[in-house]
Amino acid sequence: MSKSYDAIIIGGGHNGLVCAAYLARAGRRVLVLERRHVLGGAAVTEELYPGFKFSVCSYVVSLFRPHIIRELSLPEHGLDMIPLECSFLPLPNGDSLCRWADAQDTRREIARFSAKDAEVAPEFSMAMTKLSYFARDIIESTAPDPASIDPREMIKLLRLGKRFKSLGADMMQLNMQLMTMSAVDFLDLWFESEVLKAPMSVSGIIGTFLGVRSPSTAYVLLHHYMGEIDGAFRSWGFCRGGTGALSLSVASAARNFGADIRTEMDVERILVEHGEARGVVLADGTEFRSKTVVSGLDPHRTFLRLVGESNLDPSFTTKIKRYKMRGSSGKVNLAVDRLPEFTCRPKGSAHLRGDIAIAPSIDYLERAYDQAKYGDFSERPYLNVVIPSLVDPSLAPPGKHIVSCFVQYAPYAIKEGPEFWPQRREAFGDAVVDTLAEYCPGLKESILFRQVLTPWDLEQDFGLTEGNIFHGELSPEQLLFQRPVSGWAKYRTPIRHLWMCASGTHPGGGIMGAPGELAAKTMLRTRSV
Amino acid sequence: MTPSTQGSGRYDVIVIGAGHNGLAAAALLGKSGRKVLVVERRAIIGGVAAGEEFHPEYRTAGLLHDSSTLCVDMLSTLQLARHGLSLTKEPAAVFMPHLEGPGLLLSRDAGNAGQELGASSNGDAKAYAEYRTFLASIRNFVQRLLGAPPPDLYGDGFSSLMPLVRHGIAMRRLGRDTMMELMRIVPMPIEDYLNERFESDVLKAALAAPGIYGTFMGPRSPGGMGSLLRYECMAGAAVVGGPASLIAALESSAESHGVEIRTSAEVVGIRDDADVAVGVTLADGNEIDASVVVSSCDPKRTISWLRSTTEDTVLLKRQIQNFRTRGTTAKVNLALSGPLRFSCRPDLTIEHARIGETLDYLEHAFDAVKYRKFSESPILDICVPTVAAPDLAPAGHSVASILVHFAPHHLDPAWDNRSRDALGDTVVATLERYAPNIRKMIVGKEVLTPADIADRYGLSGGHIYQGEHGLDQLLIRPTPQCVRYETPIKGLFLGGSGSHPGGGITCAPGVLAAKTVIG
Repeated sequence: MSKSYDAIIIGGGHNGLVCAAYLARAGRRVLVLERRHVLGGAAVTEELYPGFKFSVCSYVVSLFRPHIIRELSLPEHGLDMIPLECSFLPLPNGDSLCRWADAQDTRREIARFSAKDAEVAPEFSMAMTKLSYFARDIIESTAPDPASIDPREMIKLLRLGKRFKSLGADMMQLNMQLMTMSAVDFLDLWFESEVLKAPMSVSGIIGTFLGVRSPSTAYVLLHHYMGEIDGAFRSWGFCRGGTGALSLSVASAARNFGADIRTEMDVERILVEHGEARGVVLADGTEFRSKTVVSGLDPHRTFLRLVGESNLDPSFTTKIKRYKMRGSSGKVNLAVDRLPEFTCRPKGSAHLRGDIAIAPSIDYLERAYDQAKYGDFSERPYLNVVIPSLVDPSLAPPGKHIVSCFVQYAPYAIKEGPEFWPQRREAFGDAVVDTLAEYCPGLKESILFRQVLTPWDLEQDFGLTEGNIFHGELSPEQLLFQRPVSGWAKYRTPIRHLWMCASGTHPGGGIMGAPGELAAKTMLRTRSV
Repeated sequence: MTPSTQGSGRYDVIVIGAGHNGLAAAALLGKSGRKVLVVERRAIIGGVAAGEEFHPEYRTAGLLHDSSTLCVDMLSTLQLARHGLSLTKEPAAVFMPHLEGPGLLLSRDAGNAGQELGASSNGDAKAYAEYRTFLASIRNFVQRLLGAPPPDLYGDGFSSLMPLVRHGIAMRRLGRDTMMELMRIVPMPIEDYLNERFESDVLKAALAAPGIYGTFMGPRSPGGMGSLLRYECMAGAAVVGGPASLIAALESSAESHGVEIRTSAEVVGIRDDADVAVGVTLADGNEIDASVVVSSCDPKRTISWLRSTTEDTVLLKRQIQNFRTRGTTAKVNLALSGPLRFSCRPDLTIEHARIGETLDYLEHAFDAVKYRKFSESPILDICVPTVAAPDLAPAGHSVASILVHFAPHHLDPAWDNRSRDALGDTVVATLERYAPNIRKMIVGKEVLTPADIADRYGLSGGHIYQGEHGLDQLLIRPTPQCVRYETPIKGLFLGGSGSHPGGGITCAPGVLAAKTVIG
């Protein structure tokens, strides 16, 4: 191959594509190499069963940065978001809670369980919004480095300190609590009803190997609370055509700027010569050379596999190895021949046009976690279920539906060893279907097709090390200037001309696009590409 | 000041509670020339550090038995040595008995521990030495944080953050690597961090346990390292004779400075006049005047005594409700007819031992309280005070002071005689697995559930540290308005374990509160 590129991006996930689009927009010659036959990474739509199009992994979008949508003109490339209308919690006693998009409706629902909670709910929202704005400043720029003696960094820190101080003592305390408390303790500051607290607390554990009572989960709560579509905070949405449509719109924008994007290109290693990245080598031996290489893979895969320990300083290798991946979730995708019917709300389907949480109590969620702690999948897991075909009929044949179940906990390291997951896969799938069927009795009979993704499968099929959907846990010691390791939190790596642009870097995982964007902008600003 | 109506003399300061913090504050305030009265609800002084007879002729050296976290430097002006305080040459090693194998006698001295560890894992002996070296490198900095009032959140302007900036500069002086490592590990779970360093699960469990005492956390809970580092950087030599001896020395020092101590004097109200403290009201109706009131009781209890209805007080009353005081510790005192021996190493004299041999054991012990149950296999932190102070029991007999983790204050259903007995049986049965003849040696037994601890010591939620050692509550303790010992009520100060730098036998909150009063 003779053609030379300014940048080769490994991995056509949403962050790789965002990075590619920004680099191409700035006139750089960009090549994106995707191992699979489809683009999107974990933000992908696939027709797994004739006529049924699944958002195989990631299933809702909330955190995707609105300015990226604007700057890349994604709507012109087919991006169309549909906001979730409801958050539905069926309860084992036949009752249920619907939190609607409309605040008044939600208030009435909450008041059925606690008048006090209904009253303080707006106060809570206000506080979270304030915290979100403060956090947004942090996620929209590179992470400040407290150890740096660069005056610009120190000014940035001081400015942050000043902004922090300007929040006032109560908000400062709340901020510190948010960073350190458990989701349940944090919600206890406001609410009394478990019917409300249980489904709210689960935002704190998604993608982590922690329970709702584990300290530091309150932060993840905010991470999920910040979701915004069209500038409106807190709105979650489906992507028309499945989550993959988002990736495809970014790919289309990137191509429009001149990026070369290829699938079925399995990068086996990064060419490192004299401590510098010079290009990549594919599994079939093909070599591509470039001025810079950008990895859209997780830190473990990037350094331990593609770069190789022999090219790394041992102390860096140690730090990368102790960076925690520990996937804790799985996914079960169902094709069904009719709309699932929940015993507790048999009529209508408005409550199904959003997400459905199986999280009946805090004890239930903790028991699910405790089981996983000691090396089993939860027999009665937390589920986040969506039926996107209800709002986007293009995803399934008429009258039929897809049911997507996000499942926690499914620890990567089950006690038999992760390689035994294939033998336990169907038992895991059964646990999920059984759990859901307790709330919708006709479910099992309606299933036409079932796909079960364990953390092992997420690793094997999607290249997510240990099945971690965020490229590494969102725990405090792995955030900000420490993501993935301190000293290397600004997309650069110890290998010259090798960059990182995905969820294993600041500000972390979720369909956010921010790491890809910030990496590209950093590279451009420092004239590194 | 108006003269007291009771003719009991005029006081400058009333200290509520004669625990270790209350007495330390009182002694320092007395030394500063103030006329100090200490009022104690119980008939004896000492609070959680009080030695008590729990069975005829058998005494404990305190509800809490670990005196190694005493901030002895902060008390230097009290010259406690002259009042009978003496410290051990080194902290007692902790023995971890095992069901199989020889157990582990873990000394804080890496050299001594090396031999024990080398028996099972050479790597761990080296890693342990490195861990101790690391702790030594951060010790001064952490003590600096713990030994000074925290930054003022309510202060005006950026300048009130100067203490924070100064801490930041001190942290940078640790050097980049140490500083980054410290920032990295403080919010981590204890288990993750110890896994990075050590191989042997026994060693990890031995090191982890103190970090989860007084928390609502297990070894897998993030933030546990903050609590563990706090403990490790405070722990040093212990008080000879345990906490009870400390109380005796503090009492003697306080009295030498003219401090008056009144027992069986229960406070039921703090009198305030337009948000200025003017004294306290006792249960017997007595009203005592003083322009300064220092409460070493837990903050929830203290604030419940306020009558003011100003905006600040209302806010404070609301905020203090959010201060988590879920007690998770019970206490069992055993009167034994002979020395405590473990079958895995029968010749070893046991002064301090702990049952909880793996991290999973510790985690399981914690799991129970989430579901409002006490642990069926609890962590037992055992102290045998009679080894150093044989006069606590008849000749040849001994006392085992056992702190039991985890047992919730809010047991479901609530604590009663039956569940108290069940807890006592669980503790004895757990101990019996490692010391099979213990049952025959038991002459007397006292079981204190968290509910009993709440009643006897006046601690909200029965919390032994007056408030959980979660990371957020170590950073802001107990509320933003009160982090620097002052309260919105002028003249009312908080100086107990519910204030920075937290619980345990440290005396630091009492000293810092007294210093704030003195100015």
